[in-house]
Amino acid sequence: MRLHVVHETHYSYSSPVELSQQLLHLTPRPLPWQERHAHRISVEPAPNEYEERDDYFGNRSAIALIAAPHADLLVRASSVVTVVPREKEALARPPTAWETAREQAPSRAAEFLYESPHVENLRELADYAARSLAKGRAALQAALDLAHRIHQDFEFDKTATSVSTPLRQVLKRRRGVCQDFAHLMIGALRAHGLAARYVSGYLLTEPPPGRPRLVGADASHAWVAVWCGEGGGWVEMDPTNDCLVDDEHVTLGWGRDFGDVTPMRGVILGGGEQELKVRVTVSPQ
Amino acid sequence: MAKELLADYPLSAGRYDEMFAAPREPRAHWKPMLDSLAAEPGERIRERLAAVLRQVRENGVTYNVYADPQGADRPWELDLLPFIIPQQEWAAIEAAIAQRATLLNLILVDVYGEQRLLKEGLLPPVLVHGHAGFLRPCHGARAPGEVMLHLYAADLARSPDGRWWVIDDRTQAPSGAGYALENRIVISRALPELFNDLKVQRLASFFATLRDSLAHWSPQGGPGGAPLTVLLTPGPFNETYFEHAYIARYLGLPLVEGSDLTVREGCVWLKTLSGLKRVHAILRRLDDDFCDPLELRSDSALGIPGLVDAMRRGNVLVANALGSNLLESSTLLGYLPRLCEKLLGESLKMPSVATWWCGEPAALEDVAAKLERLVIKSAFPQIRVEPMFGEDLDERGRKRVLAMLRARPNDYVAQEIVQLAQAPVLDRAQPRLQARAIGLRVYACASPNGYVVMPGGLTRVAAADARVISMQRGGSSKDTWVLAAGPVNTFSLLRREIGPQELVRAGTNLSSRVVENLYWFGRYCERCDATARLLRVALARLVDDIPGDDAHARPVIVALLRRAGVLPAGEREPSDAELVAALRAAIADEIQPGLANGLRQLSRVATHLRERLSLDNWRTLNRMTRPPQRGKRPVSLSEVLAELDATIAGFTAISGFALDGMTRDPGWRFLSIGRRLERLQTLAATLRQALAGPPDVDLTWLLRLSDSIITYRARYSARPQWLPVLDLLVCDEANPRSIAFQVHGLHDYVRRLADLFGAIGDEKLDGAAAGLAALDPGADLRYGSERLASVLDECYGAAYRLGEQLGHRFFSHVGESSQQTFAT
Repeated sequence: MRLHVVHETHYSYSSPVELSQQLLHLTPRPLPWQERHAHRISVEPAPNEYEERDDYFGNRSAIALIAAPHADLLVRASSVVTVVPREKEALARPPTAWETAREQAPSRAAEFLYESPHVENLRELADYAARSLAKGRAALQAALDLAHRIHQDFEFDKTATSVSTPLRQVLKRRRGVCQDFAHLMIGALRAHGLAARYVSGYLLTEPPPGRPRLVGADASHAWVAVWCGEGGGWVEMDPTNDCLVDDEHVTLGWGRDFGDVTPMRGVILGGGEQELKVRVTVSPQ
Repeated sequence: MAKELLADYPLSAGRYDEMFAAPREPRAHWKPMLDSLAAEPGERIRERLAAVLRQVRENGVTYNVYADPQGADRPWELDLLPFIIPQQEWAAIEAAIAQRATLLNLILVDVYGEQRLLKEGLLPPVLVHGHAGFLRPCHGARAPGEVMLHLYAADLARSPDGRWWVIDDRTQAPSGAGYALENRIVISRALPELFNDLKVQRLASFFATLRDSLAHWSPQGGPGGAPLTVLLTPGPFNETYFEHAYIARYLGLPLVEGSDLTVREGCVWLKTLSGLKRVHAILRRLDDDFCDPLELRSDSALGIPGLVDAMRRGNVLVANALGSNLLESSTLLGYLPRLCEKLLGESLKMPSVATWWCGEPAALEDVAAKLERLVIKSAFPQIRVEPMFGEDLDERGRKRVLAMLRARPNDYVAQEIVQLAQAPVLDRAQPRLQARAIGLRVYACASPNGYVVMPGGLTRVAAADARVISMQRGGSSKDTWVLAAGPVNTFSLLRREIGPQELVRAGTNLSSRVVENLYWFGRYCERCDATARLLRVALARLVDDIPGDDAHARPVIVALLRRAGVLPAGEREPSDAELVAALRAAIADEIQPGLANGLRQLSRVATHLRERLSLDNWRTLNRMTRPPQRGKRPVSLSEVLAELDATIAGFTAISGFALDGMTRDPGWRFLSIGRRLERLQTLAATLRQALAGPPDVDLTWLLRLSDSIITYRARYSARPQWLPVLDLLVCDEANPRSIAFQVHGLHDYVRRLADLFGAIGDEKLDGAAAGLAALDPGADLRYGSERLASVLDECYGAAYRLGEQLGHRFFSHVGESSQQTFAT
């Protein structure tokens, strides 16, 4: 599916910002299943400096610096990508028992195996995941079951959490947004020695006729890639929507958690109170 | 003396004794020290002990203890007796530390570069990916000269059989080298004869090597380059701030905080008075993850946004390179022997304390079998657990700990407990030798010719019964004497040859923060001085005999005390008893406005200026801001008066330092502006108050308050009258305490600043100067003159406006706080 993505981030500050430095992860990553045809990031006011690079995980990132006083900051990332369906292919891979995947993980997927700043290794998470990890069960099936249970047990609630809400609290209050559910699932898998990574991206806003509109489509989205052993490789699934990732997810990039691929992270001097509006539109082209 | 000296010194069978090979049999390298101590009368030893204590206090050597509410600025603990190491033994330590630093650096460079060690399975992945100190944004950064580990420290311990072991590696911003240097300066003075006789190796060249190597590898390091290196500190609240300031002053590096630096065009810049100045190398004392809120820990207010990017692009040398915390993990210790064989082709010269990482199943079983002889520690710095000693646990406790290890084996290591060696310390109360456990922190720095080891180190002394040595937990320290085989290298930093092209005139690298602090230093000095004089005048009236008509001055002085906040606002005339109570409180109570409070503010500002104040200056300040503890005895008013006299004399000394000891650079100018603005405001307000009081009053108090009594008496034999007093205090440009003197001085400074930095603002004191010039002595210098009152008001207002202007123009951008933002 060929998709057009527009991601607008608008900050309004109560007093002028003297200096703003922003680290952006807003460029879709070229992948075997995702072709990037066009991409542009515009920043207003025009940045004094703008530098792009590939980060440690291979995602495209940029640092923008604005040195002139400004009361508004608008960052608009627009891209055209083609995404191919992946669900069937993922299901067709040879199944690997999750215990085998666990054994193989340290040598093959160590990057995504341990605690990270947003994903604490909690005993409660291990306990929560235990039910899905029956002895000898295929890693993919176990992970899908876990995603299914998270979808059932947790309520999508935009007002419940912020970027700094600890996982422990999400687990206790049973509500949150896609970032929280992704972290939850990653933490639960890692607690059992399975490798899992955080994928940042978007969802198709209005689905094709006959398909349901997915949750979280009007904002940036996040889901999980699980390492299913040498036979299964990385398989992506979306606990917020209880599904395998097919052709309605656009990938920006991945990391250990939100902190590695925050779409826009910055340090400003001045600014006072700030108001943030984020708008995402993904439409077929 | 000898017997008495050793009366409390037990030899312990379970420990190595540094001084004795066997009972009554001192080791050869200890004999001269012991003989000399034994030959000295107790009185002399007491004098030496007192000298150490005094020097530590006077030099303001402090250490901040976080857990203790009184912990800020705790005096540094230093024992008179050095730890002595003979040359041959040192040579082995030196070689081992240089080898270890080389090895650790290679590991670091590999992990942040090719990661060959991971690919070949020489490092288990968890050591990198499971370590919170592996900073992914720093991967791929250029390491000039293949060096990331510029300054390295190792904590060593000696086991009962005399062998040395490495207990810990310090790799991100090792502390203590500055304390080692200060220990050396204090102890070499306390024991000058022995220091020379024993041929102790000097430390200065080590620091010079560090500084010159940083310059060499910085982006300006080539021939003809004049790189700017700064020392980055988290600030005065850090536990080792003393040594940040100390090293900065010793090496001549600007001491900066994160907010003094900014990143533009991928380079780091120092915010100075004259604009941004490129920084080429940063010796940092800030932990890795706090260094850049843009790419590392976002909640850090101490760092420099964009620093990681500047380092990655090779535009600034950061020492140690960001990410070097990775090496601080007990888990790594077990892998070092094999890595050393592989990377250096030789065996590890000094073993690490035996360590088992519980993440290896076989190791975990070993640990379970002998838990009672081990100590359990966290495997990675992000896992915060206090060390647990197996010997402290009963059967149930051991089961609980084992269950904990089995639940999360990756998180823990077990280590053998090294019985630390013991060395003698001299008890201060009674000069006798006592035995204390000691550990040695040694330092190595990278140089283009390989790692150089500091010939000495910081010997740390455990508290009487402690198993763990920690300055945070009340340990002490010793100077470390490495004896030289041949002649001593007496190289001193001051002897470096400076070429004519390196000549520097006038403060070039003054950061805006330093300038702001100098300005406030000037203001607070003057404010304290004025307060002390006011209190003295008020108090003297209650003690001394005063002439009858002087009594009329009382309401004016009361009003001035009200203005200073010493007396509460109100109309009611206070009784003498109330007055005395208020004056005592103003002198002793730090909370309410007054002298003690002002001194505290001054001390706070001075702390930020530590590396810029001379030692003499600092000592004087220290004596004033930290008066001797009085105990419970009530102090008589005349004693209080004597204290005030001493304080005022101290401020005279400090003015002397500023006048005679400081270069006339922009920094000095700001200090002087601060002083003069403050003096102008105080004087204008005081005169207004005096003119609002009764006319027929003896003006001696006013002359005393403004330190002009001598001049007055020399000029006029008559009792003080309005015309000559006002002439002296308002119009006389030659009197440094007059209004005219302040206005003309400020006028001149402001003009010079404008020449250097461009226009400063509208207030240039033109109005005040013109008003003063227009005063006619005959008509205006009298009681009740409206013109005089309006000139004084103009001076007061102009001083206020100028202060605001300077703040806005030169200081404001430093205080501005930054905030972190996230958008999804």
